Amino acid sequence: MSKGRERAAKARQIVADQKAAERRRTVTLWTSVAVVLMLFAAGLIGWTTLRGQDDGKVTVPSAAVDDGTAFAVGAGPVTVDVYEDFMCPACGSFEETTGGVLKQLATAGKITLRFHPVAILDKFSHGTAYSTRAAAASAAAGQEGKFTEFHDVLYANRPAENTAGLTDAKMIELAASVGLTSETFTTAVNGGTYKTWATQATEKFSKKGFNGTPTIAVNGEQLNGPDNSVPSTALVTETIDKAAG
Amino acid sequence: MESARQIRMAAAWPWISTLPRLALAAVWLVAGGLKAGDLAASARAVNAYQLMSYDAAEVVGAVQPFLEIALGLLLLIGLATRLTAVISAALMVIFIAGISWAWSQGLRIDCGCFSSGGELGAGESTAYGVDILRDVAFVALSGLLVWRPRSRFSLDGFLLGER
Repeated sequence: MSKGRERAAKARQIVADQKAAERRRTVTLWTSVAVVLMLFAAGLIGWTTLRGQDDGKVTVPSAAVDDGTAFAVGAGPVTVDVYEDFMCPACGSFEETTGGVLKQLATAGKITLRFHPVAILDKFSHGTAYSTRAAAASAAAGQEGKFTEFHDVLYANRPAENTAGLTDAKMIELAASVGLTSETFTTAVNGGTYKTWATQATEKFSKKGFNGTPTIAVNGEQLNGPDNSVPSTALVTETIDKAAG
Repeated sequence: MESARQIRMAAAWPWISTLPRLALAAVWLVAGGLKAGDLAASARAVNAYQLMSYDAAEVVGAVQPFLEIALGLLLLIGLATRLTAVISAALMVIFIAGISWAWSQGLRIDCGCFSSGGELGAGESTAYGVDILRDVAFVALSGLLVWRPRSRFSLDGFLLGER
């Protein structure tokens, strides 16, 4: 009698175990299906967000060259493209060491110097998106024929990374100090007229396969110093001489 | 017969596994959250690895942050923990491969792990070794979860009728 009861208990246990295993399988299957679907949905959100991103109405400054992304100085036979972010420290030091030489070469008719403002450091200005604002303001200055002057005064007053950057009012003030006082400029800066242009120009920069600033290209060929560094003044002038033949 | 020690360990594992589950959830939520706000920067970070065209990098850069957030949320609630842990580990291995590639190519980039990454400025130095070590630690956490996926305060446990 007691043996029969023991057997029955054992059988019940086996059935219970089987049921538990069955439940585990079912739960695992359906939760896995749910997880895969949810991850797929999350990816889809990213995709649609990307596709839904509209640059809005892009006002391209008519003075800009190279597919509306650059402001040119001089008209020499060798083209030198300089891609810069107005907050980038390496661009600041490039301007200090090599900027003057390039401008001289442009004035002397040896090169066409094309400045491409890009905005890749927005995250370093406490949410004020200084890189985009400065690039947009420089486009407004370019439209008024004062790109270089404004560009130079912005670099002379380049804010450090991880600060709020220069305010729009301060940029307008600096522009005035280099003789740029037009109403059109002030309105464009305050209204952020060229902000979407700055975003689009940055995208075109990335599409060319460039990742950092400053990026320098001579006759379309990217120029790097040793170990992917910013090229020295000597290397830049050498390359220009070679390109000039 | 199970020894008393084995029984104690069996009871302790769900508690131990809860820690890596929540830690990984936090890692993904932070990593994804920091990137989701600026998809253009995220695309540039992927592009900086020079592994694909910019158009492809744009898609990866947009999809990745949301995938990371979703993984974080799934680990947080503990749904299909073993599967999410396997996916976590797989993603981390991909990241390690990417960083190793950047390192081997001499690229000077921020890994973009917890930021929007991109190319480094002149004065900044790369931290590939540290980045890889950190990701290896995350793989280890995921591995622990794959091995012992049952944890406390998880939807899995609730669905299985565990208390």
